[in-house]
Amino acid sequence: MPRAPVNPALREPAHRVSSKAPVLWAAGATVRSLLLLAILVAATVLDWFAVPTWAWPVYAVLAVTYIAAMPIVRYRIHRWESTDTAVYTQTGWLSRERRIAPMSRVQTVDFEQSALGRLLDLASVTVTTASAAGPLQISMIDKPVADRLVDDLTRRTEAEAGDAT
Amino acid sequence: MTVPPREEPPVRDLPLDALPPPGAPAVEPFPWRRLDPRMLLVHPVLELVRFLPVLVGVFVLGSSNNDGGMWQLFSVAVPVAVGIVRFLTTRFRITPRQVELQRGLLSKKVLTARLDRVRAVEVTSSPIHRILGLAKVEIGTASGAKQVDDKFVLDGLPLQQARQMRIALLHRTQAGTPPGATAPGQVPPATVDGSAYDDVTLLGFDRRWVRYAPLTSSGNVIAAGVVAILGQFSETIGNRLIHQFGGLGWVTGRPIATLVPVAVLGGLLLFLLLGAVFSVLGYLITNWGFTLSRDARGRTFHIRRGLLTTTETSLERERVRGLEVIEPLGLRLVGAARLAAIVTGVSQQESGSSLLVPPAPREVIDAAGAAVLDTFEPLRVELGQHGPAARRRRYTRALLGAAVLPAGALVLALGTSFPWWVAPATLVLLPVAALLAADRYRRLGHALDEGYLVVRSGSLRGRRDVLQRSGIIGWNVHQSWFQRRSGLVTLVATTAAGKQAYAAIDIPEDRAIALADAAVPGLVTPFLR
Repeated sequence: MPRAPVNPALREPAHRVSSKAPVLWAAGATVRSLLLLAILVAATVLDWFAVPTWAWPVYAVLAVTYIAAMPIVRYRIHRWESTDTAVYTQTGWLSRERRIAPMSRVQTVDFEQSALGRLLDLASVTVTTASAAGPLQISMIDKPVADRLVDDLTRRTEAEAGDAT
Repeated sequence: MTVPPREEPPVRDLPLDALPPPGAPAVEPFPWRRLDPRMLLVHPVLELVRFLPVLVGVFVLGSSNNDGGMWQLFSVAVPVAVGIVRFLTTRFRITPRQVELQRGLLSKKVLTARLDRVRAVEVTSSPIHRILGLAKVEIGTASGAKQVDDKFVLDGLPLQQARQMRIALLHRTQAGTPPGATAPGQVPPATVDGSAYDDVTLLGFDRRWVRYAPLTSSGNVIAAGVVAILGQFSETIGNRLIHQFGGLGWVTGRPIATLVPVAVLGGLLLFLLLGAVFSVLGYLITNWGFTLSRDARGRTFHIRRGLLTTTETSLERERVRGLEVIEPLGLRLVGAARLAAIVTGVSQQESGSSLLVPPAPREVIDAAGAAVLDTFEPLRVELGQHGPAARRRRYTRALLGAAVLPAGALVLALGTSFPWWVAPATLVLLPVAALLAADRYRRLGHALDEGYLVVRSGSLRGRRDVLQRSGIIGWNVHQSWFQRRSGLVTLVATTAAGKQAYAAIDIPEDRAIALADAAVPGLVTPFLR
């Protein structure tokens, strides 16, 4: 088997996502934590099941850590890059997923902007190949960046020949 | 053409006046054809079978009410009428560019499929079809048609005609042939004696393969169902056994502690026996008369099998992106395996894995695989192991999983009146888990040769995937938190065929990247550190 250079490893993709992303992630985490808290409170008040007293501080510590740490870690990990020949993304926070798709195999480029995204001028771009296993999602990037990326990708994939399977 | 590929759905509804293909003369040189009139018998019989519950009701009610004559007549007449209408309203034809299928009495529907989009042709004959010498032709195109109504099915052609049609559709004359010279659909001159298209048989059915059937899990599912149903009636059955036949006499008066293991063992034996019987029956019914053949020009593979209903599946060679050697533990212990082809399609719905060889000895599998790939190499090549970190991970995962039960039992026994012997008894899981871990590690492997990427994994559900390197359309490198700590990754090659993703599990990161870089030169290079 031909070997690449000594101890080959992938470097991280070049670009971070928007700096507004951690705020949104933190907001999402807060909502989820509060929901769970509401259920616990409801359980205690309505006497569904007993929540031991020590569970409350434990829960508080876990929730605060999650809300504070997850967005920071995630912001460090979520990255993307698009070159002439390939698209490269990295996502995750506890686990890490790196995906690479050659430009010649890109089938569709989807641009998406949620209601909240419109408010904050954020968008996401999803690049699909002919495989059901490999959509590359670049979420929470600034809208101008996303627009430029879509233009870029469309132009580059049009230049490629073949049926991308 | 790369973006977006689905712009031209090959099967669609067209107004009738749009039918003549561009370039075809105004007069119709390609006559519309009908199904075989013998199909008139097929459909009523099928409809009768479908109406059977209704019919039984009608006849039972009719005989008790004495005024059901009308209803009886009606219930028989309706399916017959439906069949006749279907026969009269279904027409099809093959022009140099497309296959057209027209049907419907009140709302007319015309399905059109471009010939160059025809990817597979399946010829199926149910027992009724076989008695009448008929076959059903299903034309698989690059469309996502999910509704039964939109599928390209010609139900009821003479078997010979169905086979000729398959040849015509799959071996269509190349573009540029003047229309009418050897138009697909009309039998080309060379095939009149059949010599030009004689299939080469690669592999035929061997009755001795049946012995592998009980080692697959297919029969156990049915057996589980049967045991469950028996369980529903256990009380009745038990009562009968004791009171009517006087059997099981020794049961009465014995302590529960001796009866439970006997009952459990008996149930297990029954389950295994039933499983074996059903899997053998299932094997015979689906695989009887199995043949794998290739057409003379080597462009298509044909798989034919079935005891009652025979199916003949055709597979274009250019759609084959690799092979899956499926070797679950049971089959592996006796040196057998199953072979499937990794098949691509233009749309995701129609791509998938297609069985090539049912459970058979490993040499047979290898030979068949080599015939399909034209090389033995990927099937026999020595695989690179994944190293000590991967081995540790296999053991940790297996042993931790196996330790849950004894630990739980111990806690319960300490805290409650839970029987104390359960915890030591479940300790027996640990050595089993260790054996499993050892085998799971031994199975992990990867290799790369000129044309193919080979990955192997799994113990109970072992598999060896051989994927064409040119079929790889991307990489996913997954690393869980634990994997990161031990420097391992799961390298997934994505593809438009088969399972869409084939993974090398727990491979050291540097080796994974080197493998990816070597398998698809240039793709990951710009992203190397």
